[in-house]
Amino acid sequence: MITIWEVLDRAETGPYMEEKDFDIKIIAKKCRELVKEYDIKYNPEEIITTDSSLADDLFEAGLRLALEAGIYCQSTKRIIKFSEEEIKEGIKSAPSEIIVGQGRDSRILYARDIEDKRRPIICGGQAGATIPEEWYVPMAMSYMKEHLIDMINHGGLAIVEGRKVRTHSPLEIQATRRELVMLREAAARAGRPGIGLIAGESSVTALGDLAIASERYMRSTDSHLVALLNELKTDYDRLAKAVNFTEYGAYNVTLVDPIIGGYAGGPEGVAIVFIASFLLGRLLYRSEYHVCHPIHFRYVSTSAPECMWNLSIVGQAMARNTKFIIMGDVWTSAGAGSEMIFYEIAANTITNVVTGTHPLGVSATNGKYPHASGLETRFMAEVALASVKLKRNEANEIVLKLLNEYKDKMGKPDIGKPFPELYDMKKVVPKSDWETLYKSMKKKINDIIGGIIEV
Amino acid sequence: MEEILNGLADAVIKGDEEKAKEMAKKAIEANIDPLIAINNGLMKGMQKVSEDFNKLIIYLPDVMMAAEAMKAALSILEPKILEKKVKEEKKKVVIGTIQGDIHDIGKNIVALLLKANGFEVYDLGRDVPVDEFIRKAEEVNADIIAVSTLLSTSMPYMEDLINLLKERGLREKYIVMVGGGPVTREWAMSIGADGYGEDGEEAVRVAKELIKVKKK
Repeated sequence: MITIWEVLDRAETGPYMEEKDFDIKIIAKKCRELVKEYDIKYNPEEIITTDSSLADDLFEAGLRLALEAGIYCQSTKRIIKFSEEEIKEGIKSAPSEIIVGQGRDSRILYARDIEDKRRPIICGGQAGATIPEEWYVPMAMSYMKEHLIDMINHGGLAIVEGRKVRTHSPLEIQATRRELVMLREAAARAGRPGIGLIAGESSVTALGDLAIASERYMRSTDSHLVALLNELKTDYDRLAKAVNFTEYGAYNVTLVDPIIGGYAGGPEGVAIVFIASFLLGRLLYRSEYHVCHPIHFRYVSTSAPECMWNLSIVGQAMARNTKFIIMGDVWTSAGAGSEMIFYEIAANTITNVVTGTHPLGVSATNGKYPHASGLETRFMAEVALASVKLKRNEANEIVLKLLNEYKDKMGKPDIGKPFPELYDMKKVVPKSDWETLYKSMKKKINDIIGGIIEV
Repeated sequence: MEEILNGLADAVIKGDEEKAKEMAKKAIEANIDPLIAINNGLMKGMQKVSEDFNKLIIYLPDVMMAAEAMKAALSILEPKILEKKVKEEKKKVVIGTIQGDIHDIGKNIVALLLKANGFEVYDLGRDVPVDEFIRKAEEVNADIIAVSTLLSTSMPYMEDLINLLKERGLREKYIVMVGGGPVTREWAMSIGADGYGEDGEEAVRVAKELIKVKKK
């Protein structure tokens, strides 16, 4: 596969272009053309489609976009292009399984198939959120204490020792290191010292990331996210993160989060961008696995119907044409402590598991408020484990039923309660009213989905 | 006259620059007051574009094309209006993604929707230093400073901006609006911002309301 050195060379020598032209003349134009040429159509009645030819057409369209667009480097205003041979080499060399975590807490993270009967890997935590320092350890423990949760991707710190962390300030180093120290402490206290981490969320530039490339913080079986900027873009901060972890020897993970309604257009254009992003992310960042995170222009949440359609069709396209390991995000509008969150989690998780991705969540309130806990992620895990029994057509019917319960509330969701109101902070166990709500909602949803969750 | 006004609106809706220019010329030939051509033609079209975008019937590239068509028509219509009158009509917004943050799609959307709703927008781009917002606002005599970020670690720079405005004795001169992924209504209030938009639609509505209050 192409070396990271070659990628950096191309960032300096590739074709020059103004960014606005890349957005409009390349991304917007090509997505529109490819949607038409390959006849990609979003059908709100078929969130989970059984049309495999649609998945294959989408993959072809995404491969074309990857070839024709390349990746725009904001730092140099140049396009990093890859040949068809290089992209195919990236597909061929991608690992179909890796070991995350250590010792008895290690897990094999693998490329899922469509309607795969194997147990999915559950990655828990309120990823993308900022968590108050004083709650960080108990909140992380609330996920690690859940035995169904295999890996952790928790939020970052925006305040450390009472000081607000400003982007690019030296405090970014302390915040990122503190995040890792607290995750390690939480893992030890929860009796899961080797649990695999996706971490370094406090590092918004490369500063924090550079500071944690040490066994004291991140192990070689841990991972960090390296985002592609919207759409099909990178910069020197992102590339520095990839170079750092490539040389350090831990996992690079492409975070792909295109916006439905943005430069790529509607759900169909975004699906094409996803495929191109995964193929190019493999070469650009040497990623071992990838995160699929469609963003809804209005609601953000991955539980919005257009987003779940993306998770489903992109997951299927990748599963049928590659052996890439992909995690699908579960980001809800509602918060922990609400009824609504359970419907969103169930619909989103079923969609992911049946169509080729591992669930990663729950990022309640889309990470806006720390209104999250391990308990709703236990529910995500229970739904995920049950979903392996479902065929795509059955899953689609269930997802549509669940969607009816929350789609009209997405504009004004119930944001629930902050973590300390949901959990006993000393014992790190759910408070009785939160546990009672969980039990009643689990029963209610189990009735809707045909009693497949083990009680 | 109705046909020309509808033609202007239609050109904007379709993002057709050539048609927009052609209809603008026709409006002048037909002696239509340029302000009527703008408000009852172009703006009507832009309003429909905003509505459709908020419902996700159309997408960001369509809005950008509509804005380009409107700009093309305005380049013909505006010189026909007395300079002073135009300046009285438009309220000015200085907008940008604040220091440390390179995410700008949300800010671009808000900037476009503000333009579509008749504001004169000065877009400073992304990773904009705190004092640059103030320098530009002073230069163009802005009414609103609108600040966006997707990073929680760039939110403190918003607070810095408000503090710097206070330090320089300029706080009362400007309406300060904030928004972006991690920014909440509560946080906006806590730092003393004047307005907050959960999304582009709300940002425009709040900007209009705050301008009305400022006028009083």
